[in-house]
Amino acid sequence: MAESYRRGHPGHALFILPYLTAFVVLLAFPLFWSIWLSLHKVDLFGPGRFVGLTNYTRVLADPVFLQAFRNTILFVALSVPTLVALGLFLALALNRTTRTTSFFRGLFFSSSVLSVTIVTLIWRFVFIPRDGLIPVIFEQLGLQPINFLSTSGWSLFAVGVATVWWCLGLPMMLFLAALQQIPADLYEAAALDNASPWRVLRRITLPSIARTIMLVTIIQIVMQFQLFGQAQLMTNGGPNGTSRPLVMYIYETGFIRWDVGKGAAASELLFLIILCAAMVQYIISTRKPEVRE
Amino acid sequence: MRRFLLCTAAMAALSWSSFAHAQTVIELQRFFGACEADYGKVTDVSSAVGECGIITSLINKFGADNPDIDVNVTTVEWPGYDQLNAQLASGAAPDVVSIHYSAISDYQARGLIEPVDEILAAQGIDPASFTDAARSGVTKEGQMFGLPFDNWTMLFHVNLNLMKEAGLVNADGTPILPKSIDEFFAQGKQFKEKTGKPYLVQILANETAVYARMLYTFLQQQNSDFFADPTKIKLMTPEARNVVEFMKRINDEGLTTPGLDYAAAVSAFANGAGGIAVNGTWLIGDYVAQSEKSDTALAGGYTVYPVPQLFPERDSTYADGHAWVLPKKDRTAEQTAALGKLFKFLAENDFQWARTGHLPAVKAVFDMPEFKALPFRDNIAKIAETGRSLPAEVQRQFAIQDIIGDEIGAAINGDKSVDDALESAESRINDLLANI
Repeated sequence: MAESYRRGHPGHALFILPYLTAFVVLLAFPLFWSIWLSLHKVDLFGPGRFVGLTNYTRVLADPVFLQAFRNTILFVALSVPTLVALGLFLALALNRTTRTTSFFRGLFFSSSVLSVTIVTLIWRFVFIPRDGLIPVIFEQLGLQPINFLSTSGWSLFAVGVATVWWCLGLPMMLFLAALQQIPADLYEAAALDNASPWRVLRRITLPSIARTIMLVTIIQIVMQFQLFGQAQLMTNGGPNGTSRPLVMYIYETGFIRWDVGKGAAASELLFLIILCAAMVQYIISTRKPEVRE
Repeated sequence: MRRFLLCTAAMAALSWSSFAHAQTVIELQRFFGACEADYGKVTDVSSAVGECGIITSLINKFGADNPDIDVNVTTVEWPGYDQLNAQLASGAAPDVVSIHYSAISDYQARGLIEPVDEILAAQGIDPASFTDAARSGVTKEGQMFGLPFDNWTMLFHVNLNLMKEAGLVNADGTPILPKSIDEFFAQGKQFKEKTGKPYLVQILANETAVYARMLYTFLQQQNSDFFADPTKIKLMTPEARNVVEFMKRINDEGLTTPGLDYAAAVSAFANGAGGIAVNGTWLIGDYVAQSEKSDTALAGGYTVYPVPQLFPERDSTYADGHAWVLPKKDRTAEQTAALGKLFKFLAENDFQWARTGHLPAVKAVFDMPEFKALPFRDNIAKIAETGRSLPAEVQRQFAIQDIIGDEIGAAINGDKSVDDALESAESRINDLLANI
């Protein structure tokens, strides 16, 4: 029986059929269709004309795409370390089993369950000139208010703040789960050795959750490369395109301008970037764990 | 027992067949907002206010007057074209859809909507009964591709209370508005000095369509034929430079509220943040309602005018409008007849829609005493003659508007020089139009 189980049976493959069907229909087919579209001059409403790699050359020569690419890289470079650091900090602070920490865990995670529309509405109330929370505070302090949503540089910052607030819950929870897996005897040994908290953090805690830190980083890189809703609703990509991310460029090209082939080409380029990040995640997650003495 | 069962079955079949015979279902999709909580059951159209209230009660009234027709309404977020495109692409388009005149070219050129001439003729609706501006908005290649519903444009909504404070009111109580660029800055400066507030309340963040609308208006006022070729725009012109430099100077001299998005700009004006709001016809009803309350910044002190002629060549203002179009799909004869009835009903009730502030599409409404009695309609009636849209053949007007908003916004904020912004806008728009 056990031998038979190990050898497997072709009929067992049927068990994965439902998932495989969903995967092929919802992921694999659209992916290959999108590649096909990217090689055609096509809109949303009919067959296109094969144009080879023209859409790719048009995308790569488009200054708006290059600006959106730079914006996205900058956004990922700033938001991901912030999310990882803040998530880790909160997890460390809340890694206790008291009522207060349970309350704060729920509180910090609660923003993650909101829709992007609600999140951006909340942050619009914070940033909007005249009646927004920050302008009112600036006014009380006698400072010149900043138009966060319509000033180059600040607009992407505002989108980043809303994003960090919205996305912080997941990293915090992943870190908390990892922290709770660290054997207590390591901390007891450190206490017997009279190790300082800083030394315990560097020598026990961080090495023990190193793979989770990497995992969270890569998940966040993949997620933040797909920034769209916050930028569209808060700044509409402005001013001067300084907060337009790649996904918004794809949306505008494909759906507003009906240039679906060019939009598909841009989305393939974004796919390549995200694929690289996912491959890094795969390599790290399949690496053999270090043997702990 | 057997007889009882047979009778029951027969009665059920009869009732089903009569139900199926009686009900013609048409799917209507529109923007203009959702207000089911307030107007979901209202059929007294005259009691409704605002775009959403009036269109909701109009459709309710049509349903009540035509019990054999079920109108299933889907409300979409403005402007709703993403949803419509997805529906058209998947062969699941609604029967009738609200649309802007400026978007009709895209759908007509691609064969996605149907001409309505026959449906109008069947209902006895004479195309000549519509204003020239409305009719030209829906006419492509000699055919009407929708029922024109209104014309709208940007206006100068004026806070008379602040204008009085600034000394910018005539003896007859009308506001003193500029007739040239120099007068504009002189009055703007005077307003700011006297009231400590900006002269204009503008939408300068997030939704930047207003940049394009004002650019078109002031280019038209200079007789600039910037779309002489509908597949190419010309923006590297002295006229375009004049307009963008004018708009930038307003910002540089602090004569406008900075950084407000649409919602913030609407409420800022209502709260007395500045003298003149540059916004659309659709706000007239709301601001009139504000001015009729005693505890508002507009109390007893609101009026509205077309965007003034600031360039000497001609009086003109960019105008667009709303229409109802029929996506191409298979319909029964009953559905087509029901749509014809709906069109006739909407045309006959164009006065009710005009209460929103939009200009009527039906000529006869202008002569109705009820229309003339509506507040400030005399002030803006001339838009029926001075309102001009882009040439009918220009496609992707919404996308063009976005590009202009991007680039002119950059020039106004000082992120780009005026020339760079115009060059970039021209090249981006022409690339877009060359790749349709």
